[in-house]
Amino acid sequence: MSRSELYQEEFHPSPLQHTWLEFKENHIAVGGLCCFIFILTIVLFCNILAPFDPLLQKTDAILIPPAWEPNGSIVNVFGTDALGRDLLSRVMYGCQMTFGISIILVLVAMLVGVSVGAVAGMSRGVRSSVVNHTLDSMMAIPTLLIAIIIIAILGTGLVNSMWAITLALTPQFIHQTRDFVRQERKKEYVRAAKLDGAPPTQIFIRSILPNMGEVLVVQGTLALSIAILDISALGFLNLGAQAPTAELGAMLSEGIEVAYMAPWSIALPGAAIFLMMLSINLVGDGLRSALRNRLLH
Amino acid sequence: MGNFSVFNSIIKPGQVQHMMLALCCLGLSGCDALISASNKSNGVIYCSEGNPTSFNPQLDTSGTTVDASSHQIYDRLLDFDPKSGSVIPSLATSWSISTDGLLYTFQLRKDVAFHHTAYFSPSRTFNAEDVIFSFDRWRLPNSAYHGIAGGIYPYADSLGLANLIEKVERVNAYRLEITLKQPQSSFLANLATDFAVIMSKEYADSLEQKNQKENIDRQPIGTGPFKFAHFRQDSFIRYKRHDEYWGENKQTEQLIFDITPSSSLRLAKLITGECDAMALPAHSELDVIRQSKDLILDEKPGLNVGFWAFNTAKPPFDRPGVRRALSLAIDKNALIEAIYFDSAILAKNIVPPTSWAFQSEQKNLNYNPSAAKKLLQENGIEPGFTMNIWAMPVERPYNPNAIKMAELMQSYLQAVGVNVEIVSYEWSTFREKLKQGTHDSVLIGWSADNGDPDNFYRPLLSCGAIKSGTNRAFWCSPEYDELIGQALKYTSIEDRQYFYYKANALIAEQLPLVPIAHASKYQAFRRDLVGFEINPYGGVKLAGVTKN
Amino acid sequence: MLRVVLRFTNLVVLTLLALSFFSFVLIYLFPGEPLANLSGIPNPSPQEIEQLQHLYHRDSVFIVQYWYYLIDLFSGNWGLSFSSGLSLSSEVARTLPASIELSTYALLLSFIVGLPLGFLAGLRHHKTTDYALLSVSVLGYSIPVFWLAMLLILGFSLQLGWFPLSGRISLLYEVPRISGFILLDILWSDIENKSDVFIDAVRHLILPTLSIAAFTTTIILRIMRRSFIETMNSDYVQAAVARGLTSRQVIWKHAIRNSLMPILPLLGMQFTTLLTNAMIVEVIFSWPGIGNWLIQAIYQRDYPAIRVGMLAVATLVVIFTMTIDLFLRLVDPKKSKVERVAI
Repeated sequence: MSRSELYQEEFHPSPLQHTWLEFKENHIAVGGLCCFIFILTIVLFCNILAPFDPLLQKTDAILIPPAWEPNGSIVNVFGTDALGRDLLSRVMYGCQMTFGISIILVLVAMLVGVSVGAVAGMSRGVRSSVVNHTLDSMMAIPTLLIAIIIIAILGTGLVNSMWAITLALTPQFIHQTRDFVRQERKKEYVRAAKLDGAPPTQIFIRSILPNMGEVLVVQGTLALSIAILDISALGFLNLGAQAPTAELGAMLSEGIEVAYMAPWSIALPGAAIFLMMLSINLVGDGLRSALRNRLLH
Repeated sequence: MGNFSVFNSIIKPGQVQHMMLALCCLGLSGCDALISASNKSNGVIYCSEGNPTSFNPQLDTSGTTVDASSHQIYDRLLDFDPKSGSVIPSLATSWSISTDGLLYTFQLRKDVAFHHTAYFSPSRTFNAEDVIFSFDRWRLPNSAYHGIAGGIYPYADSLGLANLIEKVERVNAYRLEITLKQPQSSFLANLATDFAVIMSKEYADSLEQKNQKENIDRQPIGTGPFKFAHFRQDSFIRYKRHDEYWGENKQTEQLIFDITPSSSLRLAKLITGECDAMALPAHSELDVIRQSKDLILDEKPGLNVGFWAFNTAKPPFDRPGVRRALSLAIDKNALIEAIYFDSAILAKNIVPPTSWAFQSEQKNLNYNPSAAKKLLQENGIEPGFTMNIWAMPVERPYNPNAIKMAELMQSYLQAVGVNVEIVSYEWSTFREKLKQGTHDSVLIGWSADNGDPDNFYRPLLSCGAIKSGTNRAFWCSPEYDELIGQALKYTSIEDRQYFYYKANALIAEQLPLVPIAHASKYQAFRRDLVGFEINPYGGVKLAGVTKN
Repeated sequence: MLRVVLRFTNLVVLTLLALSFFSFVLIYLFPGEPLANLSGIPNPSPQEIEQLQHLYHRDSVFIVQYWYYLIDLFSGNWGLSFSSGLSLSSEVARTLPASIELSTYALLLSFIVGLPLGFLAGLRHHKTTDYALLSVSVLGYSIPVFWLAMLLILGFSLQLGWFPLSGRISLLYEVPRISGFILLDILWSDIENKSDVFIDAVRHLILPTLSIAAFTTTIILRIMRRSFIETMNSDYVQAAVARGLTSRQVIWKHAIRNSLMPILPLLGMQFTTLLTNAMIVEVIFSWPGIGNWLIQAIYQRDYPAIRVGMLAVATLVVIFTMTIDLFLRLVDPKKSKVERVAI
């Protein structure tokens, strides 16, 4: 805090600071952010945090209820599943699997989407119209259906479902980028850069991209929640991650087999997905309304 | 942000609550009728575990096909008494055997009507021609219908019945003679099994005229208590009551097989009353059924064996040492606890303790990972060796969860340095691929259709059973075939035991398959179902079952 | 006007052509013999292969083959299913109405619940009611649909035993198929104890409808709320207030009608989500719809069924969304492009 604050009343926050100030006002969103950070911690450090190996089977400890049930044990806080695997460890590794993969997928989709979207947005004529029409028909088909077709061609499995979901997520980024670039291209600062003789690539990278950060973060949170939902849905339908893998959706579908005797084996992995979705949606909502408020004021 | 508190006065908080309340009432008034299920007593719904491959049990040993056809649509010449296991009359009212054991004479029942359906109207009742037609189909390769569905009759082939029968002759319309080439003590029992069904010759002839021979197994005609009405793959089979049935006719108007592959879903449907009875309750769920006041669980010791068969036609599994080593690496007791939930007994050999061929004094290979490691090394199997275990995708009494068992075995084998890949396909694909013999090893099993031990020894491990696809180990030993062949030539149990004990010893030494468990047979149904009993010999029997 | 319609028809036809071409290419992309994937006859014999070669004009150029494929598509000759051996057109005709029926009821329910609640939230902007509704709606669209369906089954079917958990109707009832929509078919049919059958069908509908509707309802609620707030802040509403109209007049005459406008484009956008959710829910509730059928087809590697199922669903989605787009442009020609609404 070496900066002198002589003119405190004239403090103008940068756009980023401004957004954060608005975001901070929204307590629910901040709660969501805390939850998000909590999940991120688990995802990053679950190798240290998890009490057991998620694949370790103990045949003498099958379907032990969670610790809060009358005959639960503190050794397995969330209880065990039908093969005697510790559910807490499995849920933690499942978060890593589901959440971690989703983040990677979103980043890849973002990279591809922004590049293609930039090309579509910066160009005119036939090229742009072709991209537009392809996009519109791509976006009309449910992501799950695209994923199903890709899986039907490649075969079931986690890697194939990752390909499928990335492919299904990309059009939204293309769309968003293209619209944004079109909008910005009309503004003075872009025109100024153009008059300076900057080529389109440079205009995009130097002038437009820095302004896109927020749009991308918001779109990213949306895509992240879709990715999580789709990965776990495919796992749940036995089309994605296969049986012994600790993936939350696949765990849920394994849990159905013992749902009546061990409701916790579907309640806990489901709750983990729910919590992830909730925190991401809260943060996304908070960000969106913070941005909206910033622009209003 | 704009402020328009002025508009808040339009709807007062109180009003909102009123509105909500009114909405709720609207919803609830219909609820009484919606929540309580109406009484549907005109039919019985049985939740079965899969699609039958056809409606002809001659063609398939799979329990699913047998359940859907054998006792519902058809009758046999003879039946088993469910209590004593002895052979009782069915379509044959009486029979006699010549002193040399070669000539069997059957007196047939009169006025037995075939099904009258949308696709066939019978003009005559059952007679000796129908029996000859039904037997000739699997017996004679040159009969008109033999090759219709691939020409493979696994059950008859695996027991060598076609070679055993010299001729089947009509004496008069209701009298029939069967001549055997050599005496066989288990012949009558074989005629009472699920596969020895009697079909209509008249129907077959009419199909032949229309050039639709393949329809005989898809749109079946029999004399059984129910007639086939409709089958939709993965969904349901609908049967209607056969009103002119010759036996006791108190069946409900309809019988539905609700095809539900997941056992937990079957149980759930049983609990909600969407099913009246269910096939193959999972062993993990037995306690739930026992504790429920609406449900009844029947239990009988089963005539079955679950095993782990090695493909002995494929190196390195052709070496008994390797098979023995792998067997030592598995803790079978732990498997029984985890998979069968203690509702099964550890198998020492392929026959269960209820059979007289069982030897209680036989030794079992105990769990010994270090010995396994050593033996593997001796046989030149390096650590890091990879093999696959095929696990069947469906529950069977002998193995309620093969995939889970495979996962457990995966970790046991990992401990002795063997990597395991688990392979599974949809059930009919699975069996199809299994016949081609591309597997290293498979988790599967066998349920016997009659009490005779030959029903285990021959289909599971004889050379002839490789072709018919029930010998999953592809193991062929002339010595073994000789032993079980000899056993059938004698009628007294002591004489036959002598040979079966020798066969037991041979299996234990060669270990083409690792017997794992003999499980009890269970049947779960709702309390308001009357007359539903376990058929210890083969498929489910829903004749005479009614609802209160 | 005519130009707009023409352009849209053009677009629809082109998109459908692209889709059908893709489905034709799928024959080669799927594992196995292309002829088997096309005809649905698994492992055809040499004799059958020869017949099929001729039937599908396999000796002609690729484009010509595609032309005959198109003709087959139009004449309903879509091949057979590997697993059931039935004709795919009859299978789709059976499963598609079941899916449409389920989605329609879910959508209707979402509107009936979502619109008034969204209106209420907008009205009580930044008040407790608003926050409560918003929080509930965040919960609603964060809950994974398959988990919700399972919780509903655990609670209402297994614990309380109120509702059945599988199928469209008890299998003991045989309802003749006329339209494929079960409730209509029951009303049209002349089976005995019609009311019992009808109630039975409704009981089967409740849980799946609720599971699908949860997500859509919250989305509709949020859009309605945002749109209402924006309308209330707009100049013409402020002007109306300034003119001295009562709040009642302003809201009923101006605000509600105008804030309903963005709901329609939303309908087009949400349709795909709705269908995706319906597909998952169908599997859980063993609903005999196209989603369940498609996923079973994947389990059984029934490639002809996957190809045709995909084409059917995609066609449905394209036609539906495009029709709504067209309708919107006809209603409001000034809009050159449909705005994407924020939630």
